[in-house]
Amino acid sequence: MSGAAMRRAAVCVAGCLLAFSARADDDARAWIERMSESLATRNYDGLFTHSTGRQAETMRIVHRVDKGKSLERLVSLDGSGREIVRTSEEVHAYLPDRRVVIVEPRGDDGSLLKSLPTPGPALDRYYELAVGPQGSRLLGREVRVIDVRPKDIYRYGYRLWLDEETAMPLQSVVTNGIGNPIEVIRFTQLQMKDKIPARDIEPTVDATGFQWVRTGRKVAAMPQLPSNGGWRPLRLPPGFRLVASRLQPIPGSPMPAQHLIFSDGIAAISVFIEPGSQTGPRPPETSSMGSANAYSTSVHGHVVTAIGEVPAATVREIANSVVPVQGSDVPADSPASSAR
Amino acid sequence: MTDQIREQLSALLDGELPRDEMDLLMRRLEKDPELRRTFGSYALIGETLRAPGGRVAPPSFAARVTAAIGDSPASVEKASTTRAVSVAQQPQHVALWKRPMVRTALAASVAATAVLLFRPDVAPIAQLEVTPANSFAMSASPTPAQSQRLAGYMVAHSQFSTPMVRRNVLSSLLAADPGITRVSYEMGEAR
Repeated sequence: MSGAAMRRAAVCVAGCLLAFSARADDDARAWIERMSESLATRNYDGLFTHSTGRQAETMRIVHRVDKGKSLERLVSLDGSGREIVRTSEEVHAYLPDRRVVIVEPRGDDGSLLKSLPTPGPALDRYYELAVGPQGSRLLGREVRVIDVRPKDIYRYGYRLWLDEETAMPLQSVVTNGIGNPIEVIRFTQLQMKDKIPARDIEPTVDATGFQWVRTGRKVAAMPQLPSNGGWRPLRLPPGFRLVASRLQPIPGSPMPAQHLIFSDGIAAISVFIEPGSQTGPRPPETSSMGSANAYSTSVHGHVVTAIGEVPAATVREIANSVVPVQGSDVPADSPASSAR
Repeated sequence: MTDQIREQLSALLDGELPRDEMDLLMRRLEKDPELRRTFGSYALIGETLRAPGGRVAPPSFAARVTAAIGDSPASVEKASTTRAVSVAQQPQHVALWKRPMVRTALAASVAATAVLLFRPDVAPIAQLEVTPANSFAMSASPTPAQSQRLAGYMVAHSQFSTPMVRRNVLSSLLAADPGITRVSYEMGEAR
């Protein structure tokens, strides 16, 4: 074969591989979109186990669609009796072990349309996407295994076992940078129903005497953040962009917190900036819950907290880079600038 | 607690409970803390044995196992015998926690069980994360106010997650006991 012919063959093979890769990405993205749509728009009642490196708990999830609104109840069946109810207007987190109910307005008004996720066309720049072959089974159902592997150290990966017919995730695993599972959700029961009774969404916790903590107001009623100022992280992982910002009232504080939300299409990171305590700056703190990590530190007399379903190092880096800015202070080539 | 209820809990975890019985049991579970504790122990046993890498048992695990098995290996054997009827009818769905290996684990002492379930090569999440060399990790429990503040932040944050990730985040919030766990406390001058 001549040199020219070999080059043509090589180009053809490379083109085929690229086309195959692009198709795999498209297929995986389509599966992820189907999954998200099913989770948000179908009626279902399921029992699943939530496992982390520390513990495993069994929970029930009931999701009801009523007049175009998405309603949901998530309850721990494992001792604590904690319960979260998402009505069309608010999210109520019942914590009977603390005798507290946390109330947060729903930003999407329960609308199905607004609750649909947007994986985004650039997803494959930050994740390697793959769809497994047909033929796998779980819970007596045919499933398709979807792999979402991060291409860098700033985010987690996911392995999803999606029902062939409905794309509901019968099992999902969050993996760290070296592919080890750090959080597993596995359904043991899942009923897709035509209708879910309204009573199945009502809380079973008797909240008499509980402290009700309202952590926010409706987003629409909040003042808009100034477009040319506020707080911004100077360092953001590739692919994360600012998708929303708002002011978040803090119980007991006259000053609201600024809440910035960044997303790469799958993972989200929230940054809260609130006035610091009068007792002076506090040492940095790191916390984790499941695959979510949080990091708090003091910056210019304020407490900056970054939270997200990303590695601890990622939230730490972001929180440590937050600075107060004026419009002209943001470097043109900084991630903060590109996020605005 | 009756053997029938134990059977139902086990069948629920195995996906073998009829739908009408399941709805009733779910309602009872949500209202009965003791039943929830027992159910949680069964679920943890099953989950631990299913997990390829094993699980780290939480501090309350021993007490929960004791409660679940009624402090007596004999009660487990009795329950197993009762269950064997339905198991024989559906051999492909043998109740996990009643298989011989599980019965052995349950019949063993609580301490031995805890040791069996703990795999030292499985690192808790905190150990999987890269920790800067100049930071100092120290166990510290968050105050109720700190836990509540972070819980509020988690609920607010979940509003902007995709449905799947939101379920993970909210599940973690429900599972956190007694609140958000502070896994490290970095020493150094705050900025």
